Amino acid sequence: MCGIAGIMYKRSRSRGLAPVGDQLVKMLETMVHRGHDSAGVTVAGESLKSDLLIRIWADESVPAEATISLAKETVMRAGGAIVSAETQDSYLRLAVNYEGDVPRLAEALLQTPGVVLHSIGETSEVIKDVGTPVVMDARHGISKISGTHGVGHVRMATESKIDISHAHPFWAYPFTDVTVVHNGQLTNYHGMKREYESQGHHFQTENDSELIAVYLADKLALGVDLNTALEASLDDLDGTFTYLVSTRDGMGYAKDRWSAKPLVLMETDSVVALASEEVALRSVFTEELDRTEPQEHEVMTWSA
Amino acid sequence: MNRSIKAAVAEGVDDIVIKNPAARHNIAVGIRQSCKIMIEGSVGYYTASQLDGPEVSIVGNAGWALGENLMSGKITLSKNAGASVGASMRGGEMFVGGSAGARAGISMKGGTLLIAGDSGFLTGFMMQKGRIIVCGSVGDAAGDSMYEGTIYVGADVGSLGADAKYEEPTEDELIELWAELQRSGIDGKPRFRKIVSQKKLYHYDTLERLERTLI
Repeated sequence: MCGIAGIMYKRSRSRGLAPVGDQLVKMLETMVHRGHDSAGVTVAGESLKSDLLIRIWADESVPAEATISLAKETVMRAGGAIVSAETQDSYLRLAVNYEGDVPRLAEALLQTPGVVLHSIGETSEVIKDVGTPVVMDARHGISKISGTHGVGHVRMATESKIDISHAHPFWAYPFTDVTVVHNGQLTNYHGMKREYESQGHHFQTENDSELIAVYLADKLALGVDLNTALEASLDDLDGTFTYLVSTRDGMGYAKDRWSAKPLVLMETDSVVALASEEVALRSVFTEELDRTEPQEHEVMTWSA
Repeated sequence: MNRSIKAAVAEGVDDIVIKNPAARHNIAVGIRQSCKIMIEGSVGYYTASQLDGPEVSIVGNAGWALGENLMSGKITLSKNAGASVGASMRGGEMFVGGSAGARAGISMKGGTLLIAGDSGFLTGFMMQKGRIIVCGSVGDAAGDSMYEGTIYVGADVGSLGADAKYEEPTEDELIELWAELQRSGIDGKPRFRKIVSQKKLYHYDTLERLERTLI
């Protein structure tokens, strides 16, 4: 069991950014009974003064200080100009001006000892940690981040280890801003993973949910639009899943053919909110809601 | 909260109002005496489950497994229900004013589940007894692996599940159903389709080895 949540403010770029970080933390904390092993969010649509936002975690296979310093060197060698570099324990958040090829930069970073690449975004970043959402927020200040939209996850680990990198969201390497949170288990994970690896795709963890991110990356690389990619996933992915995807422009969901994992949806003229449980929506919207429950074999996408 | 409700009922209070439930889980669970409980707002998972006797009214939506294992009494929900509404219910009545999610009436063992709107995938999955009345449409795999019991559908059926079949309802059956709808405040006289088990999937007359030695 895991809990997922997403929120998107329509036309918020013109209306002004919303407290997306704070609201995701609230929704996730309300669903902490669905998983307290780890938590994570993607906040998208931030107002940034750089081309890219890079989120790195040093896995401590080498000393974290060395990884952080090597990662900065790698970015600069690839032609990136570092606008700001913030470190927090083994985390590195880099704001970078970069006009080159993002996959090339991502590849160079992955080759850097100790680097686990949590995300590269033009307008978004992935923040994830072990523990509960409130603990994560205290360490990373998520509730202070405004944006247009975002997704989040609380994890009860069922099939791979509990550590920072096995937490959600998973980034669809190397597509900027495409990240996934998933509730469920994928039963054709190993077969599809082997196939994708033979095609040169990267997996950074043993978590089955990472497959969804790689799957979407593969489809997007072929020029498939997000909605079509989500629809195709309903038949290509086997097992149980309700997952949310956040992109630069919006978000969407896909729900398996068994309707095995819950999701409630609330949509008004100004906001779309999704969560595994209505109680999470009520942590943000205090009045009674008009909400629906998406059914089996369904996808939907929205633009911010 | 459930302990408070039980204590109040034990002291003779028979009219209870719960305000601002805020979609929280497990509200009004395990009450086994007659009483009236009104819940003013949407509720979460397992609301009014394991009841034997109370009449529960909910003004709002409900999450998964509303009224699970209902033994007797009545549950009325004004809006939509999540998945597995009435799971394993053995008696009593349940009314959903909106639509229900997947697996409505899963493993139902008695009673009546009346849904004014639509019902989702696997309605009546493995049901063993009782009636599910859906005034709107049902999703795919309706009545999948049902042993006994009846599903009535007022509009479209996505598809029949394994071992389910259509049977023609009698005029008397329809008249009785329409009267039942009217009593629940539902207008219209839908020409219900009736779904029952083919009984090919289970072998009712095959006894276990131990059972054979007892005959």
